[in-house]
Amino acid sequence: MTPEEPAGEPQAEVVDLPAASRATDIALQELELVYAFIYARVGNRADAEDLTQLVALKAIPRLRQTAPASAIRGYLFATARSALGGFWSTRLGLSEAELHEDLALALPTSPPSEDGTETVQQILAQLSDNYRRVLELRFLHGYSLKEVAAEMNSTVGAIKVMQLRALRAAAKVRLDE
Amino acid sequence: MSRKPENRVDKIIADLLRGRRLKLRGGDAEEKAAITAAARLAGARQGPQRMHPAFRKRLAQALEQAPDERWVTRRTALVAGLGLAAGAAAGGVFGHGLEPQTVRAGGEPIDPVNGRWVDVAALSDLVDGHGKRVVAGGVGAYLFRSGDKVTAVSSVCSHLPCELLWDGGSGHLACPCHPVAFKPDGRPTDAYHLPALNKVHTRVTTAGRVEVLGTE
Repeated sequence: MTPEEPAGEPQAEVVDLPAASRATDIALQELELVYAFIYARVGNRADAEDLTQLVALKAIPRLRQTAPASAIRGYLFATARSALGGFWSTRLGLSEAELHEDLALALPTSPPSEDGTETVQQILAQLSDNYRRVLELRFLHGYSLKEVAAEMNSTVGAIKVMQLRALRAAAKVRLDE
Repeated sequence: MSRKPENRVDKIIADLLRGRRLKLRGGDAEEKAAITAAARLAGARQGPQRMHPAFRKRLAQALEQAPDERWVTRRTALVAGLGLAAGAAAGGVFGHGLEPQTVRAGGEPIDPVNGRWVDVAALSDLVDGHGKRVVAGGVGAYLFRSGDKVTAVSSVCSHLPCELLWDGGSGHLACPCHPVAFKPDGRPTDAYHLPALNKVHTRVTTAGRVEVLGTE
């Protein structure tokens, strides 16, 4: 931008990006949401990237259409849910039908809100004190089992069992999403 | 390897907390609820995540370089799908597979070595438009009847080595390992442009029996 340009000129009229670039930018914005949505459910970057690119591969023809953003987003999240269903069924060696009930919890029907952290806090809040504590220390504070055991005056073996039971309990928590 | 569920699940948690991808093994399905909850907690641990710049760049390149039609090459689809199913090396692999290639048509018939005709069904057992899975020795196939004619395609996905499932609702053969499906004639249904399923030789005898060219 040069100093001679008139002040107050709307930038959108001055800068006209190539159509392909705009479409890519819009697609990437949407795919950022998809990535966050997937990451919040698989918990690691490598799997989240694989799944996001799978969604992108499947959705690019749709992304190139001049569809409203809401329709594109809906399609992307439907595709993301399908990809996640395939991911879990493949990794666990189960049919998607067998996973259906668990996925009903893991995959809400709407796009993600700001983050999954709030949801996790809501889940933790419904657990007993010990279960909540062990999961908070292990996952949110990154403690090792040994450190959790020391913090909770217990043994590593007992904490390991408690951790599993706490996760099972967390999986059963139903939220009003 | 420990058979105790608390040890197996803790190993998965330890991997997740180290940023590693999910590696699950036989028997882990029993703890599917705990594992999906663990993945979710691990995902929330650092708050909402954004794409790594290098991955974002690869995605952008893929979006901009892809031709308008039939842009997904077999290689690209293979790379993406294999990354998903087989747990390829960490990180995206988009950039490696985007060179334009002619999509392979696939669909070549299976001609087994020392093949033999195997009786697999009665024609009257088949319903028009419905897939029926049969096994002829080492050849698995889905039979489709159309009047007095019967055609067959391989029951193995042309992309990942997974047994397809017949989805009567959609009238497609669905792969359980990734979101792709095939029509009864073996062609893929969506934008993946994967090769078609291999065809399987069939014949109907004068006695009304359906035979498939399979193996001992």
